Order: sequence, then structure tokens, then C-alpha cells
Amino acid sequence: MASPAKATTDSNVVDMNRPSARARVQAFGGFLTNMVLPNIGAFIAWGLLTALFIPTGWIPNEQLAQIVGPAIKFLLPLLLAITGGRMVGGQRGAVMGAIGAIGLIVGSDIPMFLGAMVIGPLGGLIIKKFDRAVENRIPAGFEMIVNNFSLGILGFLLMIVSFLFIGPVIESANNFVTSAIEALVATGLLPLLSLINEPAKVLFLNNVIDQGIYYPLGMQAAAETGKSIYFTVASNPGPGLGLLLAFTFFGKKTARRTAPGAIIIHFFGGIHELYFPYVLMKPLTIIGMIAGGATGIAVFSMFDAGLVAGPSPGSIFAYLGLTPKGSFIGIIAGVLAAAAVTFLITSLILKMEKNKDEEEDELSDSIEKSKAMKQQGKQVAGSSKKEEKIDKISFACDAGAGSSALGATTFRKKLQKRGIEGMEVKHYRIEDAPQDSNIIVVHKDLYDRAKHAHQDKEIITIENYISDPNLEELLDRLEER
Amino acid sequence: MLSQQLKGNIQFLNSVSTWEEAIKESATPLLDGGSITPKYVEDMIQNVHENGPYIVIVPGIAMPHAKNEDGVVKKTGISLLKLEEAVPFPENKKVNLLFTLAAEDTSGHLDLISDLSSLLIEDDVREKLEQSNSEEEILDLLQTVE
Repeated sequence: MASPAKATTDSNVVDMNRPSARARVQAFGGFLTNMVLPNIGAFIAWGLLTALFIPTGWIPNEQLAQIVGPAIKFLLPLLLAITGGRMVGGQRGAVMGAIGAIGLIVGSDIPMFLGAMVIGPLGGLIIKKFDRAVENRIPAGFEMIVNNFSLGILGFLLMIVSFLFIGPVIESANNFVTSAIEALVATGLLPLLSLINEPAKVLFLNNVIDQGIYYPLGMQAAAETGKSIYFTVASNPGPGLGLLLAFTFFGKKTARRTAPGAIIIHFFGGIHELYFPYVLMKPLTIIGMIAGGATGIAVFSMFDAGLVAGPSPGSIFAYLGLTPKGSFIGIIAGVLAAAAVTFLITSLILKMEKNKDEEEDELSDSIEKSKAMKQQGKQVAGSSKKEEKIDKISFACDAGAGSSALGATTFRKKLQKRGIEGMEVKHYRIEDAPQDSNIIVVHKDLYDRAKHAHQDKEIITIENYISDPNLEELLDRLEER
Repeated sequence: MLSQQLKGNIQFLNSVSTWEEAIKESATPLLDGGSITPKYVEDMIQNVHENGPYIVIVPGIAMPHAKNEDGVVKKTGISLLKLEEAVPFPENKKVNLLFTLAAEDTSGHLDLISDLSSLLIEDDVREKLEQSNSEEEILDLLQTVE
């Protein structure tokens, strides 16, 4: 898997070697995956809660169901924003991402997943850029006050901007979706509705389209004929089943292991939200969802099948419970056909990506190798490389407070003495050293721990925090550039 | 800043038998002043057992410290112990100066660290430090670099 850590650490290498557009798309995909994946557990917790306790759930419980709304509106988007922010800007980025996301959340009526996945990394980026700009300009002793207030003030602005910005965006998205669906319904080519339905669902507009458009249409038809296909066009649990099955067989690592659990909550519990994160982490799979959804609608129309009311939540049991006599074959066939088509297409997409990832790993391995060779050549020849990009050096120790701070402070003084500028030198706990550090400096006794936490970074070991020969060498190297 | 913090926290001893004892001795003023709890002293020793003598920051000088976990550090502080006879830390690193650091968080003590760095970065200042044998002398020396 192309992890973001790898993507960012390699950025200097990548700059020099001109990455293919594909490599960049790949890195972006890896970024999305890593933003969503750590939070799947929260989706599952929410899904279980919802499937059980909502009024149409298995054991309705008004009290516990109170958690459902706030959890999907606040908890899940905030988690995504925090993860995204942290990936870009460390712990400060995480805080910034959460601050930005709350503006979006309060400013809109629907769960802000996609928005959180944009604002989280954006918040991280803003604070990172700011920190870099003021780096080394803060008088000693003022670090804490500057750090806290910069985050506070920038966060305050981001919160307001995201709040004011999101309302109009959601409104226009709703208007667009509504008019597009109305136009498609007018053509009579119902399977085409999937083109709008599936992306809209994943963006959490599912209630808008189901309860706002399809259910009213369905109720009109059902009043006349006793059933309607409109109840099925966006609530078919088949495509989600197909997608999750594909991840179960052809997904990678965590995605693969969590997908079976998600199937139960989605297909039997009717909580479609459980599959949304999988689409969000591999956006191409939306093609499989659209094709599956369209197939389902086509099969339902072919059999002239329909449901008597809106299935909510859209589980297979709700479907069967609301199927009128004579429609069973059509409904079951539509669900299964949709699942099969989505499964086939998603599997193909996942397999393709898998192969690409492997190639990508080989590619980055070879870049890594050539980098190492250059490095060696440099040491032998003692000549400087013209474009060695180093602008972030992190000193690390066990606590991130004592010796690493001393090392970093002393190193900054030495940089200043030599007139070397544009270098961010900070101290961290080993495991917290940011992923975009170019070089990590640790005491030789802590090398193994540092290596474990930062496998693909250049690590310089020292024994003397004030004047170690390895640090002097690094200073020479920075000066020579 | 460093000189203010070190005032009354500087001790001189002829010798100690082990490096553990050196850390304990050097932490006494912090303990008495209420900066740390006895658990922090144990944590600092444990840190060396676990992570090796990386707290020996330059030959002859150690900066014992540990993480502030479970509130073992009440307030940021630093103390100095000067030994006439150096004591061996693991890997036979001889130490005769111990700057024992208690940091409440990762940033509140950075001015202390910054002064300490100024003190150690210049060889002639460090030499003078080695030769000082009264609190006054050391505080005067510190004020020249702060």
C-alpha cells in the first residue's frame, strides 16, 4: 500500500525524478485510504448502534437511539478530519482539522464526510505552512504562547470560513441532484438514475434523495397500483453487498479484514453508510456501484417488481417484508443481480489497483536504491549534490522534552552561526517526529526505536548533543548545498 | 533564566558510589522544593536502564530527565550536582556534572534548555564551569552567557 508517509518522505526524491501522473494519483489514493481506514471501527460502532436501536431497528430503544444522530453528524466526520489533519500537519494539524470540520458540520444538515476529508488535510496544511513561516523567528520562551495562539486564531478563522462556505455548497448540490433526478425520471430510463443515486448516497445525500424525491413518487404510484419501483431505486442493498464482498476477497489488509463485518451491518442491518467509507477510500469503485445499481433497477423493471412502502433501513429483511405477492422473484433477482455486477466490476478495479501498487512499490524501491547509491557516491567523492532538499530536521528522544530539546536548540544556534537559513529544527518524542522530516537525529542508544518508527528516513545518530562529529558533518553538508 | 532556576539548587559532593546514587543526590533540591515526586527520581533511573545512557549529553555531563507521566513533575525545574570524582554511567561513561531536569511539558522549559545549550556550546565557558567550585561562581558564569 502506498502509505502517505512514504509518499511524503519520498517527495524530495520524487521531485527530482518527475513522478508519473499515475504515481501521483496512486499517492492520493493511498492518502484517502489512510484517512478512512483507521476510523472504520467507529463506523462499525455507529452501524451496530443504528441497526439495533432506531425505531425500525431490531430492538428499538428511544434512549439509546439518541446517540445515532450526533454520532454520525459529529463523531464520524470529526474523526476523519482529525486523521486527515494529522497526516498532513502532525498533532497541531489534527487539532486544526477538527476545528475546521466543526464549522462545516454545524453549517450543514447532512453528515459532512467528504467535506471533513477536505477540510481536515487543509487545516493541517495551513498550520504546517504557518509553523514553517515563523520557524526560528520566535524568541526563546515564547514558543508555547505563539503556538497556542497561532492555532487558536487560524482555527477561529477556518471555523468561520468553513461554516459560511458550506451552506450554499450543500444547497446547490441538493438542487442539482433534485433537478437531475427529475429530468431522468421524465425520460423514463430509470436505470440511468444510478448515475446520480450512487455518488449522492456516498456523499450522504441518501436521505435527501430517498425521502425527498423517491418516496413521494413511490407513494403516489403505490396508492394507485399497490406497489412502486421508486422505493427500490436508491435503497437496493445489492450493490453495497457486492462492493463489500469484493473488498473481502480482493481488498488489502485492514479493508479486507473489516469488510465481512460491514456486510452484516449493511446487508442484514440495512445501514448503507457502512459501505460508504470503502468507496471513499477507493473512489474508482463508484463505477461498480453505479453499474450494480443500474442493473438492479433494470431487473426490477423487467419483472415489473416494486415494494409497497419505503424500506427504511434498506436491509434485505425490510425488502422482503415489504414485497407484495407476485414481486418476490423480481425483487430477489434485482438484489442479487445488482450484487453480482458490482462485485465483478469492483473486483476488477481492486485487482488492477493491487497490481499497480506492487509496481509502485518496486518503483519506489528502485528510487530508494538509486538515492542510496547517490548518497554513497557523494560520501566517496565528497562532492555536494546540487539539489538535496532538506528543510526539516527533527531531534528525537524518549520524552521529547529533554535531550532532544537541548540538541535542537544547540543545532539551531550552530545553523545561525553559519548563516544557514530556511531550516526547521524541532524536538519530538521519537514516535511523534513528523512524517515529513527529512532527517531524524537520535542518540545512538535510541537508534533501533527510531528506525522502527521511521523506517524510510535518514537517521543520524549522535553521542554528544552539543558537538558530535556527525552533527558537524551534517552542518557541512547543509552549508555546501 | 537558568541562573534563577539553579539558585539554591546547586550541590557539590566529593564522590558517589553509583550513577543511580548520583541521580538521586542531584534530584534532592528538586524534591525538597516540591518540583517533583519521588516517583520521578525512579523514572529517571529507569529511563537509563531502559534506553541506555543517552542522557550523558556530552562527555562528562549528564542531563537526567524522564517523561512527566501521572503528574510526577509538579513544576518545571533544574538542579546541578558537581562531583569532584567522576562516576561511571553504563557503557563506562564518566560523569562529573549532572544537570537534572524536570519538565512539566514539552515546551515550558525551553528557555532553560536554550541557556544550558549556550553554556555548553562554548569550550572556554565549559572549562570554567569545570573549574568552578562554589554556587556563586557558577551563577556568575551563567549570567555571562544568558
